[in-house]
Amino acid sequence: MESMLRIRNLKCFYGRIMAVKGVSLSVKQGEIIALIGANGAGKSTLMEAVSGILHSWTGEIIFEGKSLKGMDPPAMVSKGISLVPEGRLIFPPLSVYDNLRLGAYTRLRQRAKEEVEQSMEMVTSLFPILKERFTQPAGTLSGGEQQMLAIGRSLMAKPRLLLLDEPSMGLAPLIVEKIMEVLETLRHKGHTIVLVEQNAQAALEAADRGYVFETGTVVLEGKADELLSDQNVKRAYLGKDYEEFDDG
Amino acid sequence: MDNDDFLGYSPEDKHQLQLERLQNTLNRAFRQVSFHRQRMKAAGIEPGQIESAADLAKLPFLERADFNEHYPYELFAVPLRDIVRIHTAPGTSRNPTVSGYTAQDLGNWRHMTRRALSAASVSPSDILQIAFNPGLANWGRDFKDAAEDMGVSVIPNTWLSTDKQFMVLRDYKTTVLVTSPAFALQLADYMHRMQVGPAALNLHTIIIAGERISDERRKSIEEQAFVTCWLHYGLNEVPGPTIAFECKAHDGLHINEDHFLAEIIDPETIQTLPAGQTGELVLTTLTTRAFPLIRFRTGDKARIIEAPCSCGSPLARIEWFGQRTDDIMKVDGVNIHRQQVKSILEGALPVSAALTNCRVKDDNGRIFLEIFIPMNEEFFSDEIKEIEKLLRKTEDRLREDLGIAVAIRLVEKSNPVNPDDL
Repeated sequence: MESMLRIRNLKCFYGRIMAVKGVSLSVKQGEIIALIGANGAGKSTLMEAVSGILHSWTGEIIFEGKSLKGMDPPAMVSKGISLVPEGRLIFPPLSVYDNLRLGAYTRLRQRAKEEVEQSMEMVTSLFPILKERFTQPAGTLSGGEQQMLAIGRSLMAKPRLLLLDEPSMGLAPLIVEKIMEVLETLRHKGHTIVLVEQNAQAALEAADRGYVFETGTVVLEGKADELLSDQNVKRAYLGKDYEEFDDG
Repeated sequence: MDNDDFLGYSPEDKHQLQLERLQNTLNRAFRQVSFHRQRMKAAGIEPGQIESAADLAKLPFLERADFNEHYPYELFAVPLRDIVRIHTAPGTSRNPTVSGYTAQDLGNWRHMTRRALSAASVSPSDILQIAFNPGLANWGRDFKDAAEDMGVSVIPNTWLSTDKQFMVLRDYKTTVLVTSPAFALQLADYMHRMQVGPAALNLHTIIIAGERISDERRKSIEEQAFVTCWLHYGLNEVPGPTIAFECKAHDGLHINEDHFLAEIIDPETIQTLPAGQTGELVLTTLTTRAFPLIRFRTGDKARIIEAPCSCGSPLARIEWFGQRTDDIMKVDGVNIHRQQVKSILEGALPVSAALTNCRVKDDNGRIFLEIFIPMNEEFFSDEIKEIEKLLRKTEDRLREDLGIAVAIRLVEKSNPVNPDDL
């Protein structure tokens, strides 16, 4: 099957600093891909480039056969790419309902009102708790609920490719598990998912394949179960074997 | 058949995967192996500058002499505790070549070997016998692991006399034989001489590894032993046996392109040659964790065939010519460097290595290294027995270090032997 997203030699810059130093990766239709690695390894920067937030990059980002060079976030959303940003970035004073509707902003402008209603149905069936909280200000939700809202808001744009940046951050293990289950459900609904996570264990358990980032480069790629059993990944990212980690 | 996703890849996805894996390999090698880091720095290049397979040409070569210099573990890219297997093979001079494998590496070799065996129609209903000389014992293990993994019944590699191998072949109802050309030829010859008919053996497949075999000899094996032959290409210093393998079309060998990137260079100018031209095969590993090879000069003469194969596989093929572009001799499939033979001789005997000579000898299918040493004063002893003893000891030493059969002949000093004259 052809790749849905294909990245070649991506270099991302913040001013003069190169945060991503020549990364190539690919995502096939229907896959869940985990990008793992320490803080500052370039994973989130790559997500910003793919979602159009960061413009200063070189290399190729090809989505469904077309280059994404020079596109801004609304254009990306229209093309079918949605980002669930790190820290969720919901709008706290607005109601849950309005937050969700904002996710469908570009579609509402195209007067696709009925379809947006269908998406609202889908999101509330996926996260029934959001329907119960429809009129509450989003800021009053718990951390886990806010994460569901952030994912729900992205789904309102009806993306084919969903990018999630650290969805498990600050959440209790049980909630993390629930979020990962939702990703599996979304895959069954036909979404393709790229997941950035510091919680490598949870991410690799949910993913088909993974890429391991180190200081702006990818040092390893492979099937998720292979990475989970990889000695180096275990030591560096899964917090295992530390007591024996001194033989160099 | 394996669930082998890669064989369903489009050309574009294949190149994407190769680029990703190449860059990952270079990043790991640069970080973890000081040899590779220093060489890249000396060449003024960083892994991030390699943006396509064509950019490989910017990187320095890895040669067999580097294994000797960085013996035993300096080229490993993982801590020793991650290594689960260590292999030794003959080296280029004093030191043997040592390679290590992580559990993932062994998994990759199993995968490649399974793929190669499947392409030769080997199935769980087969009985597979492995007959290599001790120098190829590493390969024996890879074939055993992969075949067992497929559910094939395996008769592992054991160093038996030819008669015993035939007995096992016949009595154990072997259907697939994995061996070197020399043993395959001996078998065919034996069957021909004994007038063994097709019904006498269950054997239907011979997988030939270690050395190229001429089309003529292959045909005679197929006719005399009533089998189909399949050729595999591998490297015995940095094992694997199944870097490239034949499919049912028997028209070149498919390279495992998800694990290796192949280039062809002109061995004289060391420039990369365009696709289709004949030169020296250079390999870069794409998935190897423990012992990555970056632009390793194999010394094997080959040509890359890019045209699609009639079998439909997306894996590109090589035509393997058998000749060498370096000073290595193939002795029953094992790569032997003249320099190593000479340095062992110098350590064991009072001779100047420069005066010694050697050649590969085929004595009715028994392949061995024949070494000629000029007699000199230091050799003289009151007893001829003493000289004999010294020579036999040296032969033992060579056998142990090289894993092949060896015979030393003394020749007159005034008449040093030139192997070309033999």
